[in-house]
Amino acid sequence: MKQISSDFAPPLKLISPFFKYGVIFYLLSMLALLFFEPSFSYAQMSIAGWIHLFLLGFVMMVIFGAMAQLIPVVLEVGHAVVDVYYVIFPLLGIGAAVMVTGFWLMPALLPYGGMLVLVAMIIFASENIATLKKTKIRTLTIDTVAWSNGYLLLGILTGFAIALGLSGDLGINITLMLKAHVYAVIGGYVVLTIMGLSLILIPMFSLAHGFEETAINRAFKLVVTGVGAVFIGALISQEWLMYMGYAINMLGVLFYIWQIYIIARLTVRKEMDVWAKSMIFAFVSLILSIVLGLFYFMIGNENILHASAWFLLLGFISSMITGHLYKIVPFLVWFERFAPLVGKEKVPMLHEMYSKEGAAMMFNFTASGVVLGGFGLLFESDILFKAGGSFLFTGAIFLYMTMNKMLAYGK
Amino acid sequence: MCTITKENVFDAISTVIDPEVGFNLVEMGLIYDALINEENCDVKVIMTLSTQGCPLHQMITQWVKEAVERIEDVGEVEVEVVWEPAWNISMADDNVKQALGGM
Repeated sequence: MKQISSDFAPPLKLISPFFKYGVIFYLLSMLALLFFEPSFSYAQMSIAGWIHLFLLGFVMMVIFGAMAQLIPVVLEVGHAVVDVYYVIFPLLGIGAAVMVTGFWLMPALLPYGGMLVLVAMIIFASENIATLKKTKIRTLTIDTVAWSNGYLLLGILTGFAIALGLSGDLGINITLMLKAHVYAVIGGYVVLTIMGLSLILIPMFSLAHGFEETAINRAFKLVVTGVGAVFIGALISQEWLMYMGYAINMLGVLFYIWQIYIIARLTVRKEMDVWAKSMIFAFVSLILSIVLGLFYFMIGNENILHASAWFLLLGFISSMITGHLYKIVPFLVWFERFAPLVGKEKVPMLHEMYSKEGAAMMFNFTASGVVLGGFGLLFESDILFKAGGSFLFTGAIFLYMTMNKMLAYGK
Repeated sequence: MCTITKENVFDAISTVIDPEVGFNLVEMGLIYDALINEENCDVKVIMTLSTQGCPLHQMITQWVKEAVERIEDVGEVEVEVVWEPAWNISMADDNVKQALGGM
């Protein structure tokens, strides 16, 4: 029998602020959507501001918290310096807020916000790489963690160069650098990390076991290669290389979806809780995003690209994260307040620690908002887009409220 | 001569509930074996967890240890967590399979 490694999990009080403040940034992102129109250009500072509010404040914040918890589990070694997460959290939070203020109100602030985020991410990536060096395990998942951290560093360096360019301190081709930056961060870090995390978390919560991992291994290799091709293609201005990268990435994501289908078929838990509904909605959104992406390449209509990006960001990435929050946050609270009472008095089950009605409202409003907003972008309909934004904001209020109740449970 | 039986050990561990699924570890099929030293009543529990990534694994093993230590006249208690054979739903009791939708 193979023995388990000991537990290297970091203290939970270190992780919970990442989730708590990530949700506040999400609420602010959804509120900000109400002030946007369905027609826009990616080069607009207001759009860049919203993207950074959503990606840095919500997506990165929650992913960093989850990685702090899961990296030791995957690598079977303790963090090299776990206390750096106490520094990463304020740097990322303040850096994101300063950057968004810079995009929306005062471009001169961008390098300062960018510098804070750069430092936070360099610390995060360096700590991850130092932890990677401690492990003797060599698996594709671990190589993928290394690649995703490498892309994160490339993404933040190109982003910092853009920040300097926008404030007038550096003469660079911003459009070119922007493509490299977006692809390194979203494709190279966020998508690769979500693929890696979901391969651990989805089987864990659905109790699926004994599945083949060939598809995910192919998916990891293809996405790593595809992102590299797009990144280099953007830097050296070779469109053919970028298109090749897009195609490779799409193939990689299809292999990932196939892997999730294999896991779903072996799922033991059939309960349709907010997590399960969010996962289904996330993958339907991902498929829709791919279909729209293919149409964009055939037709070349910008609206289709906007809708594709919308379903990727708000349908897939966002639902993957919010769905998992209803599993992870009750656990954190339970661990802090109830675990010491086990065997001494009755303790609640994790599913009893959040309002089912509140979670259902969050899911229904959010899913409706994503669909309405996506169609609003697709048809450039202001009414549909505003309706989508309103539904998403209402859903975010329910997320915030249920989150606060979860965090206050048992106080 | 030790009078503690494997059944006593499993009964004690059945008070430990997995907070995620709401079933006790024995009916989940997570407890593989209990080795009892007949000389000094030392107990070694061989168990697994439903997933390798379980962030509760240290606590669960501690609860198992404490539950067994509550048995009268028990000696030293050791808990070993193993990954092989890997747990699957067929190891769980029928009521668990039914509740989780596995049958």
